[in-house]
Amino acid sequence: MNYGRELLKGNTDSLLLYLINCHPTYGYQIIKELEKKSNGYFQFKEGTLYPALHRLEKDKFITGKWQMLANGQQRRYYYVTRKGQQILAKRLAAWQDFSVAIKAIIQPEAT
Amino acid sequence: MADNLSRYLDSFKACLEIDSAVKESVSRELYTHLEDKSQELKEKGLSEEEADKVAIQALGSPKLVAQQTYEVHAQGSWQEAFFAALPHLLVTLVLASYYWQNILCLSIVLIATVGIAIYGWHRDKPIWFFPWLGYYLLPVIATGILLIFLPQGWTWLGMLIYIPLALFVLVYIVRQTANRDWLYVSLMFAPLLVIYSWLLTLSPKSGFLSGNLQLVQLHVNAPLIGISFLALAVSTVVFIRARQRWYKAIALLALSTVILASVALASRESIGFWGWLILILSLLAFTAPMWIQAKDNAWRVRF
Repeated sequence: MNYGRELLKGNTDSLLLYLINCHPTYGYQIIKELEKKSNGYFQFKEGTLYPALHRLEKDKFITGKWQMLANGQQRRYYYVTRKGQQILAKRLAAWQDFSVAIKAIIQPEAT
Repeated sequence: MADNLSRYLDSFKACLEIDSAVKESVSRELYTHLEDKSQELKEKGLSEEEADKVAIQALGSPKLVAQQTYEVHAQGSWQEAFFAALPHLLVTLVLASYYWQNILCLSIVLIATVGIAIYGWHRDKPIWFFPWLGYYLLPVIATGILLIFLPQGWTWLGMLIYIPLALFVLVYIVRQTANRDWLYVSLMFAPLLVIYSWLLTLSPKSGFLSGNLQLVQLHVNAPLIGISFLALAVSTVVFIRARQRWYKAIALLALSTVILASVALASRESIGFWGWLILILSLLAFTAPMWIQAKDNAWRVRF
């Protein structure tokens, strides 16, 4: 199986939490933003986004609210809860440590 | 709504058996997604039909999306699982401590159960409430049976008024529950099935629910009846915690097997041919929603 896809699968929740924490947003915008910020590296399977969002909502990490856009259309915006912020902070710290450790191993030592 | 998008959402909703309000909200959210995607593709020069088609393909199979959505919404928490299993555990406790012979104790348990069932009904029918609802139906059915003991003449009058009323309540509750999910109907009827199965083991020689013989039989069988309710509690926990529908169905099937085995152990020759036939037919009726589900799935896969 594609290793990049596996990595994305393992970190989907953290990425979603991070994006929603930056500013409240809705499903379609999340996919666009993920693609844009990763320069197309993260191609999210669209159908799997909503179950992932609902799982986060069920765990009370995010909350969803229907809101009216300027053009009169309604979209379901997601907001990160306090519990979500706490878990995100923990995951970011863990990811940071992991990333530093990986870099320390794979980067050639400075002479 | 464009025809293609509408068809996609209809198909999605048909595959998804969760609370109708949640289902509506999820499908509305998917529709807004398809709408955005289709609009973007149209701006890139695709025709409306092509844009809808590509948007639908990008979202994926409606069955798969429905399945993943179901797995999120159908799984209850450990707290919900415990609360759903609580009435069965209480009955097990009452049977194990032989308090079932104490009318006051039984009345308290029954009143509490009915109160909790009514509370759950008016609180958006949470997943834990369906087993309580099953016990709520017990006094409805028991009252119908007790009408037999009314003085001559009153029995017919009582039945004439009560039976349509009880049937109306029963059908209404079953329909409301089935609207949520057919499997919940089985979960709701599970305690009634256990009680009914054990009533079948009572010797008919001295009349239904009268005489000391039945009390002695109940007393002797109390540990096995307790085990049946404990099995019911375990299968309820598995049902609530399972993400996939098949695991939920298997939990209910396993329960039917335990009931059949414990009744067989306890009854020996007291049930008789017709008793066994009725019991097996009841178990088949209890598991009917699972066969409907299996048939339905096969149908959906084919078409």
